[in-house]
Amino acid sequence: MARISLTGIQKKWGEFWGVRDVNIDIADEEFVVFLGPSGCGKTTTMRMIAGLEEPTEGEVHMDGELMNDVDARDRDVAMVFQGYALYPNMTIYENIRFPLRMRGVPKSEQNRQVRSAAALVELTDFLDRKPAALSGGQRQRAALARAIVRKPQAFLMDEPLSNLDAKLRQAMRVQIKHIQRELKITTVYVTHDQIEAMTLADRIVIMDGGLIQQIGTPDEIYNDPSSTFVAGFIGSPPMNLVEGVLAGGTFEAPGFRVDALPVAHSGKVKLGFRPEDCTIGGDAPQVSGTVYGIEPTGDITYVSLRAGEKLVEIKTDRDYRADLGNRESVTLDTRRLCLFDAATGTRLR
Amino acid sequence: MAKVRKSRAASLIVRYLILGAWAVVCLAPTLWFLSIGLRPRVEIITPQPIYWPTWSLDAWWKLWEQWPMAKYLRNSVAAIFGSVLIDLLLAIPAAYSLSRYEYRGRDDIGFYILSTRMMAPAIVAIPIFFLFKNLQLLDTIWALMIVFAAINLSIVTWIIRSYMLDIPKELEDAAKTDGASDLRILWEIIVPAILPGIITAAVIAMIFAINEFLFTLLIASTPDAYTLSVALANFTAGTDGVIYNSIALVAFIAFTPVFLVVIAIQRHLSRGLTMGAVKG
Repeated sequence: MARISLTGIQKKWGEFWGVRDVNIDIADEEFVVFLGPSGCGKTTTMRMIAGLEEPTEGEVHMDGELMNDVDARDRDVAMVFQGYALYPNMTIYENIRFPLRMRGVPKSEQNRQVRSAAALVELTDFLDRKPAALSGGQRQRAALARAIVRKPQAFLMDEPLSNLDAKLRQAMRVQIKHIQRELKITTVYVTHDQIEAMTLADRIVIMDGGLIQQIGTPDEIYNDPSSTFVAGFIGSPPMNLVEGVLAGGTFEAPGFRVDALPVAHSGKVKLGFRPEDCTIGGDAPQVSGTVYGIEPTGDITYVSLRAGEKLVEIKTDRDYRADLGNRESVTLDTRRLCLFDAATGTRLR
Repeated sequence: MAKVRKSRAASLIVRYLILGAWAVVCLAPTLWFLSIGLRPRVEIITPQPIYWPTWSLDAWWKLWEQWPMAKYLRNSVAAIFGSVLIDLLLAIPAAYSLSRYEYRGRDDIGFYILSTRMMAPAIVAIPIFFLFKNLQLLDTIWALMIVFAAINLSIVTWIIRSYMLDIPKELEDAAKTDGASDLRILWEIIVPAILPGIITAAVIAMIFAINEFLFTLLIASTPDAYTLSVALANFTAGTDGVIYNSIALVAFIAFTPVFLVVIAIQRHLSRGLTMGAVKG
């Protein structure tokens, strides 16, 4: 298995920057997820690791060896694609066997390995079918089997679950994580789905506009976002961001007053807090507003509260009910508050 | 319920009537040709209409006895299939390069290839004659194969290229990371995936080749290299005048193999002709 290291990676098409100055070291057996909105450069970065795209600048190393001039077919990485990319003219057996055949594995060994990979993804009964005769989930598992059949140095997965329905996606997530742990293969996974990123990753790399915004464990990314972009991108609903003025450790905005903030900064800032870090009521509430909307989901209730001009989302008890327009006050968990520079969006500590 | 069933039956009848009428329009010339070929010569050129024709195989037997028809047929088949084979061997890699590799002037090269099809054949007729003369290939099947292939190469390349553009790039990327070389990707992944397109291009090239007349007439000066299309001209220039029933029979012989091939691969052909039309 392999360590992957990207140093000063840039990709430019004409005047358009696809990826800018990406630096990251991925440890052996690590599961790293590249997360970001469409066009943020995450897939391009993965394609440069695979050798399918040439970096304009920078170096790709695998286990210390420079890979820039090594052809994709010689990099010993296996890739799973968004559209599965199963060869339509071949049966599932032939699809899974293809990488073994290309690498000259003896025939008897090919058969054993194909059956073992198919068993791992529970596809043994479908080996003689063509891809067109399989469901989306089965095709995805076939693509996975083709990737794992030859025990590559690294798995590269490009939004492999995005074509599946929510239920199947959840089941496949578990399966992918289980297989990765079992085979202990370094994995780079690209997605724009934060749930996938949070549940699968050892570390998440958040990208936007071709730049890395933050690298960290799912807990670090969730609890300690480095910018308003990360804070707003992760979490469902995302972190509430309220613009106001900070002076002498007190944050003030219409409907908000938060005292004793441990930040020496003063001026315009954005206060960030997660919907679950709020309690309706309390002895010393910091937010007051009117109920704008209530969304009970069964296990919890989401409340939208209008405080000043701002709508804030609050996650509360599943039994909470109130009439629209009711006045409510909210207490924030001050240990979990984040402050960001209002102009640049960077975290203030 | 009964009303719906009735209107459905009526619409079905109308549909069949329209399709039947269209089938008659399409088949009438062929059947007319066949009927000319199977009647005595005198009867064909009689100005009065004949409602009860006399059927005879005389023209058919005469055709095979008096003319080297087997040779013409053999020449046609060899020249046509040889040219289609050359076209496919050259067009598939060329189309792959034009559809997949990024290089300066790629689109210009593509357009140049297609533009050769727009040229009037007469412009190159004389140079081609002298070229083959110098190569001592005049009056040979090889020359016909090369000429047919050259004429059709542009259209075959262009058709195959359009099918290749529809193949998702992910398939190639997957094959690359699986360890396949460019050549293996082409033959093991791309070619099977665009087989309907290749068959379509081959059939179109075959039809163009079977109808080719000018260059064949130029290159073939003896029956050694005559094809069916040039043989037809023999029946208009002899001392017997225009032998209509022989012309009709030769035309029918030339038409039948293509017709049968098209019927046999109909499924591929219809899929092939529409496959490039809409991006999936």
